[in-house]
Amino acid sequence: MSSVEPVPRCNAVVVVKGLSVAFPSKSSSGEVVHDVSFSVKAGQRVGLVGESGCGKSLTARAIMQLIPPPGRISKGEIYVGDDPKPATAASAKRWRGTTVAMITQDPLSSLNPLVRIGVQITEMLRYHGHLSPSGARKRAVELLNAVGIPNPRRTLRQFPNVLSGGMRQRVALAIAISCNPRLLIADEPTTALDVTIQAQVLDLLERMTAEHNSAVLLITHDLGVVASFCEEILVMYAGRIVESGPTEQLLESPQNPYTVALLSSVPSMTEELPERLASIAGSPPVGGVDVRGCPFAPRCQLAQPKCYDVEPPLRELGNSSRRVACHAAGEPLWPGRRALEVVP
Amino acid sequence: MSETKTSFLEVRDLAVHFRVRRGLAASRAVKAVDGVSFDLKAGQTLGIAGESGSGKSTVARTLVRIVRPTGGTIVFDDTEVASLRGQRLKRYRSRMQMVYQDPYDSLDPRMSVLEIIAEALSVRGLPRSQHPGEVERLLRLVNLPASVASRLPGQLSGGQRQRVSIARALAVNPEIIICDEAVAALDVSIRAQILNLLKDIQKTTGVGYLFISHDLSTLRFMADRVAIMYVGRIVEFGTSEDVLANPKHPYTKALIAAVPTVTSRGQQRLKLSGEPPDPGNPPSGCPFHPRCPEAVEECRRVRPELVATPGGQSVACHVVFMSHPSVSAQEASA
Repeated sequence: MSSVEPVPRCNAVVVVKGLSVAFPSKSSSGEVVHDVSFSVKAGQRVGLVGESGCGKSLTARAIMQLIPPPGRISKGEIYVGDDPKPATAASAKRWRGTTVAMITQDPLSSLNPLVRIGVQITEMLRYHGHLSPSGARKRAVELLNAVGIPNPRRTLRQFPNVLSGGMRQRVALAIAISCNPRLLIADEPTTALDVTIQAQVLDLLERMTAEHNSAVLLITHDLGVVASFCEEILVMYAGRIVESGPTEQLLESPQNPYTVALLSSVPSMTEELPERLASIAGSPPVGGVDVRGCPFAPRCQLAQPKCYDVEPPLRELGNSSRRVACHAAGEPLWPGRRALEVVP
Repeated sequence: MSETKTSFLEVRDLAVHFRVRRGLAASRAVKAVDGVSFDLKAGQTLGIAGESGSGKSTVARTLVRIVRPTGGTIVFDDTEVASLRGQRLKRYRSRMQMVYQDPYDSLDPRMSVLEIIAEALSVRGLPRSQHPGEVERLLRLVNLPASVASRLPGQLSGGQRQRVSIARALAVNPEIIICDEAVAALDVSIRAQILNLLKDIQKTTGVGYLFISHDLSTLRFMADRVAIMYVGRIVEFGTSEDVLANPKHPYTKALIAAVPTVTSRGQQRLKLSGEPPDPGNPPSGCPFHPRCPEAVEECRRVRPELVATPGGQSVACHVVFMSHPSVSAQEASA
C-alpha cells in the first residue's frame, strides 16, 4: 500500500484505492498495475499520462470492470458514484454506460460495424433512458446535432464504416454522453485523428462534459493534450503512479526525473531547439515482470544504490496536492539533483 | 561508405492520379498528388507535413517507385526515375531507401535480425563471408548490441525494431532515406532517441532525408526545409524556421495552432471547421476555401499557384498576396 491515504470520498465520482491488476504466469505475479490510488471529483478533468505498456489503459478498464481474462484485479477496491460498497463485475451492470461511460481510441472497433448508427444510439437511450422508440430517435438526432454531425437523420441510417475517423469519434461521444454519465473515461480519444480534427474533438469533449457536468478521465501518451485539457495530471510508469498534481504545478516544476525527461524529450514548437533532444536511455520494463527498487532506476540519471534496493513510496510533497514517488524529490543534497531543476 | 555525397533529387510537377470506379458510374480520377515540385540534396532534410489524405505518403511511395507517377518528372542526378525498369530500377532503389511507420509490419517476423540486414547486403553485392562483420558495424551505427543479430523481430522492443529497420535501410549505402512517419508509432522517450540517432547518422554518412510526419514539432527539430501539403498539393514551402515560426498560409497557421503543447496551455485552441475534402471530389478554386477563415470570392473560383513571398517561403494563397499589396504580379512570378 502507498503511504498516503486516498482522498476522502467527498464529492468523488470514482475512488480507486490500492488497485493492482495482474496477469499471473508461472514465472511471475504478472502485476501490470501496481498499487494505484487516486480519485476523480465531480466535474473534474484528470489526465492519466504514460508510455505504452505502463498500465494506463488497464487502470481504465479496471474501473469499468472490464479486465480481459486471465487478467484480474488482484488487490484494491474501486468505488463508483454513491455506492458505499466496492464495485464488482455484477454491480457494474447497473452503472456501466450510465454513471461511468467510456470512449476508446478507434470507434471503428467499439462501434458494431454491422449495425446502423441509429440503432446503436437508440439502444442506449431505450435500455438505460427508458425512452419510447420515437422518443429515443428524436433524442438521438438531438445528440448527433450537438456533437456536430452535419446531417443527423441520414447518419442514423448509415453504418460506421462510411464515416471518417473524426465523425466516428463524434458518434461514440454522442453515445457515451447520451445518459449523462458522471464520469467519462476517454482512452486515447484523439490519437488516431489528425491535429485539426483532434482540436475539434477536444473542444467538443470539453463542451459536452461541461454541459452535463461530467468528470473526465483522459488517458493519453500526449503531454500536450493533457496540458491543454486537464486540471490534474497523473503520470504512470511501469504500472505505478510516479507523480501527480495540478497541471500547472506539475508542468512547471516536475519532481520525478521520469516526468522531467518526458517533458524535455518533446521538441518545442516555439523555443530554441537543442542540437540533440534530451532522451531517456533504454526502454521501459516489460509489464508484469517483478522489479526490485524503483522501476525507473536503470534509466534514471540520478539513480543511487538506494534506488535499486528500495521502491520509493508515492508520498505527498510539501503542503500541496502534489504526490511523487522518488527518493531524490525534495532532497536538496541528493547527488546530481540540480540537473532536475533545469526544466525546459 | 562515401563521405561526400553530392546526389541531387529534383521533382517537378509530380502528379499521381488514380482511376477509381464506383458502381456503374464512369471512372473518375483521384488526384492523390498534383503538381508537386521540390529538390533534395544529400545531407539535407526535407520535411513534408499534412493531414491524412494530403498525399504525403503517395509522394514517398512514388519516389521509391512503388507507385508510378502519372505526370511530371523525378530526376535523381541524371537519371529519369519514372521510366526506370529492371536492373536499373533495382540499382536506383538501393540509392533511395525507405523506413516505414510500423516496424512490426515492415520486418519479416520469421527472419533473424542478421538475415534481415544480410538480405540487403546481398543486394549491395557484398560477399557472404563479410556479412556478419558488416551487420555488426551497422548495428553499432544504430546503437544496438551485436547480440541482437541472432534475435527475431518479435523479441525486440518497438524502438529496437525501428533501429533494425534503419540499419537495414543503411545497409545498401543509400543516398536518400525516406522516413514515412518513422517515429509516429514510438513512445516519446524512444522517439527522442531515434530522432537523435537519425541526426547522428546524417552527420557521419551524409545521407539526405525526406521526413514525412504529421507532427510539426518533430519536423521543426529534424528538417531544414518544410513543405505543407493539402489535398495533393504543396500549399506552403520554405525553411522550417520561416514556415513554422512565421506561417503565411491560413492552413499552415491552423495546423500549427491546432497542436496542443505543454507551453500553449490556456491558449484558445484554434478551430478549423470541417474535415479535409475527398481528393476524388475536391472543391472548386482553392481546395482549402470551405474551411478557410480568410477565404474571399476569388478563392472559390481560381486555384492559387505556389508563389514566392518576400519573406522567403512560397505560398499558394490569394489572400496572402492581397494583404501584401507591395508584392506585384511580376515579383510574385519570379
